[in-house]
Amino acid sequence: MKVMDNSFLVALINQIYEMETKLGELSIDALDRNLRKLNNLIEENGFVVRNPLGETYNETRTDYEANLVGIISKHMKITKVIKPIIYQKSNDGLQLLQKAIVIAEN
Amino acid sequence: MKTVKIGIDLGTTNSLIGKFEGERVQIFKNPVGFRDTLPSVVAFRPDRTLIGDKAKEFLTKDPVNVFSSFKRKMGTEEKFYVTNIDQNMTPIELSSMILKELCKFVKDEDVSAAVITIPASFDSMQSAATIKAAHLAGIKHPFLLQEPIAASLAFFNETKVDDLDGKHWLVYDFGGGTFDVALVKADDSSLKIVDHQGNNFLGGIDLDNLMLKELIIPQLEKITGLSIMENVFDNNNRQYEKMYFMLAYLAEEAKKELSQMEETSIDTELELNGQFYDISIPITRSQLDTIFRDKIDETIHLTKLVMENNRLSALDISALILVGGSTYLPQVKSQLTEQLGITINHKIDPTTAVAVGAAYYAANKTYIASDEPKAPKDEIDDDDIKALLDDESTLSAKPSIEIEYSYNKTSRDAEEVLIMRVEGTYEGHSYRITRKDGGYDSGISNLKSKVTEFLPLMTSFNNIFECQIYDTSGKEVPELTKQFDILHGKFAIEGQPLPHDICLEVDDLENSTTKMNAIFERNALLPLKRTLYKEASKTITKGSKESILINILEGDQYSRPTSNTTIGFLEIEGSNLTSDIIKGSDIEIEFHIDESRVLTVNIYIVMTQQEFKSVFNLSEKKINISRLKEQFTTLESDLFKSLRDFKMREDDIMVMKIEYFLKELRNIKSELLSLKESDRSDRKYIFAEKLSQISKESDKMGGNETIALLIEEYLKLKDNVWVNIQGADFEKDSLVTQFKKIETTEESFMKSKNVSIINAKIDALENLDWNARMNSIGTLMYYFVMLKGHSAEASNKKEMEYVIKVAEQAKEKENYAEFRKNVHYMLNLAFGSSSPQKQMPNFKGTGIG
Repeated sequence: MKVMDNSFLVALINQIYEMETKLGELSIDALDRNLRKLNNLIEENGFVVRNPLGETYNETRTDYEANLVGIISKHMKITKVIKPIIYQKSNDGLQLLQKAIVIAEN
Repeated sequence: MKTVKIGIDLGTTNSLIGKFEGERVQIFKNPVGFRDTLPSVVAFRPDRTLIGDKAKEFLTKDPVNVFSSFKRKMGTEEKFYVTNIDQNMTPIELSSMILKELCKFVKDEDVSAAVITIPASFDSMQSAATIKAAHLAGIKHPFLLQEPIAASLAFFNETKVDDLDGKHWLVYDFGGGTFDVALVKADDSSLKIVDHQGNNFLGGIDLDNLMLKELIIPQLEKITGLSIMENVFDNNNRQYEKMYFMLAYLAEEAKKELSQMEETSIDTELELNGQFYDISIPITRSQLDTIFRDKIDETIHLTKLVMENNRLSALDISALILVGGSTYLPQVKSQLTEQLGITINHKIDPTTAVAVGAAYYAANKTYIASDEPKAPKDEIDDDDIKALLDDESTLSAKPSIEIEYSYNKTSRDAEEVLIMRVEGTYEGHSYRITRKDGGYDSGISNLKSKVTEFLPLMTSFNNIFECQIYDTSGKEVPELTKQFDILHGKFAIEGQPLPHDICLEVDDLENSTTKMNAIFERNALLPLKRTLYKEASKTITKGSKESILINILEGDQYSRPTSNTTIGFLEIEGSNLTSDIIKGSDIEIEFHIDESRVLTVNIYIVMTQQEFKSVFNLSEKKINISRLKEQFTTLESDLFKSLRDFKMREDDIMVMKIEYFLKELRNIKSELLSLKESDRSDRKYIFAEKLSQISKESDKMGGNETIALLIEEYLKLKDNVWVNIQGADFEKDSLVTQFKKIETTEESFMKSKNVSIINAKIDALENLDWNARMNSIGTLMYYFVMLKGHSAEASNKKEMEYVIKVAEQAKEKENYAEFRKNVHYMLNLAFGSSSPQKQMPNFKGTGIG
């Protein structure tokens, strides 16, 4: 069996995330089940995908790359997630595979 | 004498570190975020210092406290006042911080010597400033190397060139923010830069902005009817600022995609003045060719200038070496080829070439380490006295610091507080905490008597942190490094842990039995939710008496289903279905257990689009009689098999035990097998209890010696099977996949220490072995000859003779696929199955595979 390389899987996860975001905005429930299944398959295959949307911006979090909008303050929240955080499970625990690309603002 | 080995590309925008080891160069990844490159940016936040990616986030927002491109100011007297620390910082100090950070990428090694690259344009003052920065970073023995020379070394180590002497080549360095071109010549076996040109404000970022201005924003203006261009570069307009970041990121991604493809599109959703726009802007590579042309022409103009100034034509240039991220663009390569007429070589990675070259150079550089004995001197000079004083001061400054760490070892919160109480001579020392998975970095902060940090946790995982302490010179004090774990989600006091595994009984068709599929593992915290995606293991016709059984069990996932307690049971009959369920179709089963241990199961049958929901009260026990009969038969047959094995091993004690279990089964056999589905008495519960009890006891039996023997048998058989698979002439891939499937479960079934489970795996291997042999031409020939000799004994003699004839013809024509098919048919006629292995007739199972 061919072993798939991570860059392909990361690209696939990003596309699923994008689809999910678009469907969420359009409130189409019909594909929810398929998306949940896709996410389940991703998780069962050792990937952990996290969406930091709505979290308070934290300068010590290195699992996302933020673009700060407006005046910076302690109360900035993540308002847009362009790409999600992806970790991969290994024997040693987790390892960051992709930093999220986010926008944070007051 | 020691070899330097370490090479550093101290770049204006990004920096890298590599090491020459074992004939090749390894580029070290940043342990925080795992990237090859470190942005050359330093941010002074009110309570900590950030270096690299996180510092870059504050670059445009807090320019008085965040610094980048300071390399351009090396060798000048310029100082940067940092508001947050009320202190001036020099370019040397900032560069030393980048170097220190890079040295931390190299684990378990003290970087005391390194080759550091500098631009071709650096004068003596700038070079001396780089040496100072290295000393400040603790690199006692720095060696400088010009960037184009480093790139050339990387190139010539990849491309074997016989004679370089007297030859010229160009190093074309088009990075994220700057452009440089250098003419390099080999003279008497030494490389030197003959000439160079550059533009400090021309790079990939300018190309991204061009994409925005020329392609994306005009399209956006068309779609929205708004004037976007005049606002998008205005930092004071929040909605446009947000849009700029998004579009700049998407433009960069599209630019990368167009390096591989002819066309792509920018797809996003934008909110402008309260209205949402669904945007999709197609972009082609030819559009980029047009808009990038002028900028690339500028770089070509500078390249030609270098050639003209040195009276060289394209024919005099033996190679054009590309360095920097922007050289990945196909437009750059095609314009260079078109206009310069020099062949481009792609053998080196443009991002890492300079660091790789520096490391190659380092592999040939040596230095005398300070701990090595020096040649005796007649007189002591000032340097010696200074060195002695330095050693003294290092000795006296040895830290006598004690740190007490307080934190919760388990947590259910998104972050956990860490308190460090520090005693001793900690003044001037600093600390940094990182999470091993790369998702957290506290940055560097001053050590105080009491330190409080909020550590973000990865939910549902064990979070491993490391706290490093640095001395007054910024060097790590390894004896004070502390690693600690915070487990998120498990064993916390608030949640109730599960005392046993919760499993779903599913079919194991290969062995005509059922097995446990873990849903929730022991000690997982309530409440719990999980969806299993399974397939129907048989076809169930609408209206039929066939059914799907959802049997949820509590117990040990490594034991036989019969040994466990049913805590939820649901039967979906053919009469409940709106259409047929075909074997292999999807069944989604969602399980939820709340804090009070109430189990809810939601089953969705994709084919019929039907949903079945059930809430189980754990005191309610449901039993399916035909399944109970099947369990009885399986258990009885397992026990007979064990009895045979133990008799062969002459283990009298085990034989006695099994005979006792078989006697117990015999006592209920006739009554159980004659039980009707409509039976409303308590008997089915009594029988189920009995079966469970015998199954549990037989699971426990065997002892370590028997288990060891079985494992030995399994491993021996496994080796044989693998050899037979290698010798198979048909379906090899499928056989290997089946073999790997058994192998992946090896650890868990061996851990089960359960005789019946290990026996089942041995059976599975035996089946696979038979399949492997039946896919080998040699074995097929053997069976063909053997069955042909006994054809007269076949029940359907006429048919057998016909198949033998067809097989014979296929053999003569060397059509082995056809031959194989017919030998399998012969086996079927002879034994009623293509496999002599025993198969349970009409195995019903659960219907879930």
